[in-house]
Amino acid sequence: MNRLSTEILVIGGGVTGCGLLFDLAQRGFKPMLVERGAPANATSGRFHGLLHSGARYAAKDAATARECIAENMILRKIMPHCIEDTGGLFIATPLDPSDYADQFYAACQTAGIPVAEISPAEALRREPLLTPDIVRAFTVPDGSVEAWEACRTLLESARAYGAQTMLYHEVTGLRLEKGRVAGAAARNRITGAAVTIEADMVVNAAGAWSGKIAAWAGCDVTVYAGKGTMVAMNYRIVNTVINRCAPPADGDILVPVGTVAVIGTTSVRVANPDDYPIEPWEIERMLVRGAEVIPSFKKFRALRAWAGVRPLYQEKQAGPDLRKVTRNHALLDHAALDGVENFVTITGGKWTTYRLMAEQTADIVCRKLNTHRPGQTARTALVPEKKRKYHTLGARQEKVETGQASGQLVCECELVTRSQIEARLAENRRSIINDLRRDLRLGMGPCQGGFCTWRAAGILHQSPTFSAAQANKSLVDFLQERWKGMTPVLWGAHLRQMLLDQGIYAGLLGLDKLPPELSGADSPRLAEIETEGYFLVKNEE
Amino acid sequence: MNKTDTIVIGAGLSGLMTANLLAQANQNVLLVAKGVGTPVLASGAMDVLGFQPVDSRRPLENPLAALDDFLAEHPNHPYRLAGAEAIRRGLAALQRITAACELPYIGGPEKNLHLPTALGAVHPAALAPRSLAQGDVRRGGRMLLVGFDELRDFYPALAAENLNAQKLGVRAKSVTLPLPAPVDGKMNITPIELARTFEQRAFRRRLARVLNPHLKGFSRIGFPAVLGLHHHPAVLADLESELGKTVFEISALPPSVPGRRLFEALRDALLRAGGRLILGGEISGGEITAGRVTSLHLETANRPKLLSARHVVLATGGLFGGGLQSDAAGRVWEPIFGLPVAAPAERRAWFSAQFLAPHGQPIAGAGVRVDARLRPIDGEGRPLARNLYVVGEQLAGYSWTAGRTGGGVSLATAIAAVDAIINR
Ligand SMILES: Cc1cc2nc3c(=O)[nH]c(=O)nc-3n(C[C@H](O)[C@H](O)[C@H](O)COP(=O)(O)OP(=O)(O)OC[C@H]3O[C@@H](n4cnc5c(N)ncnc54)[C@H](O)[C@@H]3O)c2cc1C
Repeated sequence: MNRLSTEILVIGGGVTGCGLLFDLAQRGFKPMLVERGAPANATSGRFHGLLHSGARYAAKDAATARECIAENMILRKIMPHCIEDTGGLFIATPLDPSDYADQFYAACQTAGIPVAEISPAEALRREPLLTPDIVRAFTVPDGSVEAWEACRTLLESARAYGAQTMLYHEVTGLRLEKGRVAGAAARNRITGAAVTIEADMVVNAAGAWSGKIAAWAGCDVTVYAGKGTMVAMNYRIVNTVINRCAPPADGDILVPVGTVAVIGTTSVRVANPDDYPIEPWEIERMLVRGAEVIPSFKKFRALRAWAGVRPLYQEKQAGPDLRKVTRNHALLDHAALDGVENFVTITGGKWTTYRLMAEQTADIVCRKLNTHRPGQTARTALVPEKKRKYHTLGARQEKVETGQASGQLVCECELVTRSQIEARLAENRRSIINDLRRDLRLGMGPCQGGFCTWRAAGILHQSPTFSAAQANKSLVDFLQERWKGMTPVLWGAHLRQMLLDQGIYAGLLGLDKLPPELSGADSPRLAEIETEGYFLVKNEE
Repeated sequence: MNKTDTIVIGAGLSGLMTANLLAQANQNVLLVAKGVGTPVLASGAMDVLGFQPVDSRRPLENPLAALDDFLAEHPNHPYRLAGAEAIRRGLAALQRITAACELPYIGGPEKNLHLPTALGAVHPAALAPRSLAQGDVRRGGRMLLVGFDELRDFYPALAAENLNAQKLGVRAKSVTLPLPAPVDGKMNITPIELARTFEQRAFRRRLARVLNPHLKGFSRIGFPAVLGLHHHPAVLADLESELGKTVFEISALPPSVPGRRLFEALRDALLRAGGRLILGGEISGGEITAGRVTSLHLETANRPKLLSARHVVLATGGLFGGGLQSDAAGRVWEPIFGLPVAAPAERRAWFSAQFLAPHGQPIAGAGVRVDARLRPIDGEGRPLARNLYVVGEQLAGYSWTAGRTGGGVSLATAIAAVDAIINR
């Protein structure tokens, strides 16, 4: 059995865990992060992509609103490469409660959110597809955020300070010694090998799974999983984040992301954070709600749907104040709460407030370890190791137009060229199609990868590190993954397109008829095990 | 104006074949179609039955010999109505018509060709044009697969490695070259554009010169399917003599050049046989009165025009071809006559969990149910219109990817519909 040790062990590689790892490393600790999949594979990569201004919460929850606006301003400074300054609009339609707008405006001002009322005509000038029935409109500093790039930069920066990351390692239990947590047992999800990790302190940042982890130390943490479903439409219908000027409800936000627009979300409690199918009514509701703000909404095609699970912390009736630092997220010191030493849980919150959550957690860790090391993350710009400014369409279009990215267009929708894929491969020769999807948004546009996936597989195979079997496997995995996102929204023209794709991959190419050892069709998904994790297997072979 | 015997709606394989056979039987035939049909999306080869059981990965040798087993597992498949004899006759009819258009189809119903796909898998097909058929992997030997930098849908190295890994008795190698003038330096070239370029003699000469140093030791040279469009037989013959080797084509992603050639051959044959054609014409509706189709509405620029005929053949291609429509509420309908459609009741039952489901997606089997004479029926099995027939993908009961029966169904049901119309 593999034995490792570290000063502070962080469980969970969502944005909270990644942010915490960086914060601890910057304060001079030698932390280690264990994540059962790739970074941001769970909620942090399956969210709505909105950098909240806080306005949505202003009327009901001023504390959260204040946190959001403060963090919004900080993140714009420290990770500008991950944020698109779309701005946000709150619009009131005749369907919305008429007294809410004034209350909303006042609450935003109280919370310190820069809010301004504009005329309905001005709102329509900015976003011509909006319903002409707008009653009132307000601008706020919402934005959209690139989650994968952010988590990746956080991990890179943490590693630069000496932090370690164990991706594709699932924590299977906590080590308890005389009433204190002394580390964790984990399993390499690729090789199956068992690992034990000794640690002076363990932080549970496992999102919707944090209740399960805490229970291993005998601590009672109630975290419900709140499923939220989002639907991507085939067109960037708006350039601004559009919110309904009404108390938060299903399908009240439309976020422009790259070449598409995403509407969301629903909110349903589910029993199992690992299994939460998307229900047809959720899709239907998103389309109906979309049409309330954009009358032509249903004329656009729904491309894919996905869902994530919010960690919803349930406060116990009687408990010391400490257990809940704000009404938004929960930071629990289990020594005070349950008499279990060296163990802290951080859960709940928003993507937007990850940095604050990490900072408060690191403060507690310092206090428990009796050391004084102030956090600096609010003042530290996060710089990616390599300049990877692939993900904005504008940047790519500029390159294509100025001839810098000469070469074939592999993906027409997202303007990905062959030379970009090759550059990405040269940088990390282990990229598989799913990485290309994240980095270049390949296959994320309106056609959903029917053609470009095939091209990407062919190009990958030309790199010396890719065997045909690996190219086949990344093709199989990518198509299957895409399938999961598409089935909830397949009908009409989109269904027809899918039948064409079936014809291409089965009928024309025969991907389903390659021997399984060659296509990997019967083996576990590789797409998930990208980059580091994947090559863990190779190195150990 | 002379009276129309039969109007065929749809210019896919089944519609074009039905129209051709009726015209050859001296009927006055009118074919109306919105687009050019699905042949341009297909490989150009005719699948009758490629895999049995359908989840097997071993390509069948003899499709007809496996037909009974296949039908035992797929009792609602249109082959049950048409029968083995119609499959045979359909294949023979296609061979006869294409041979007359200098696009000879090779093969037969008792021996599948094993064609290499662009991925390097094996595609079992009963018939294929000579250029594709010459790629049959069972011919063995050493083959060189040629790709071009500018053609982004063909990756011969991947195909070669996959073919070799399967130990099929053929050894493949690949080479990828930049295209010579006049298309050199082009960033993207479409298959159709490249096929037209291949029709230039000077281009082929230049290509042969760059290729020659690579040819040693190979008995066959494979290209993506771009060897000419209208003058394909001459291009193929010339390239073979230029290179001194057997040359074959591999079908790649749509638009398919072999599919386009087939479409054009069948279209020209129809016109030669005296058939009439309205391409780009949409039939937006039809009337069924007292158990007969009495009129069809043809959309024109200003107003719908009424058409009528003694018989009407619906060859509109199902969900894929546009002959069926669907919506978010899980409804599937036939837009011209509002015929009853057999489809899974709820949208959540439309799909299997696997994208590459060996039995096909349940929704792909949606279609119109018919009687033994291919006439649409109601819930009790009674024909809804005595003079309306349904052929090809529009039929219920099969998904062509399951076992790969698409071409065979189109051909066999065309035969069955023609029999029903003419024996009346
Ligand atoms: C539908 C939806 C939309 C949202 N939209 C927004 C938005 O627009 N803006 C915004 O600011 N916030 C949004 N949020 C909230 C935000 O996404 C989450 O608050 C945030 O991502 C939580 O991050 P996390 O790191 O705490 O959890 P997660 O991202 O879930 O990370 C937990 C990690 O722990 C890992 N893990 C679990 N068990 C184990 C184990 N045994 N061993 C090892 N690892 C383990 C998981 O794999 C996972 O990666 C949204 C949430 C949802 C559900």
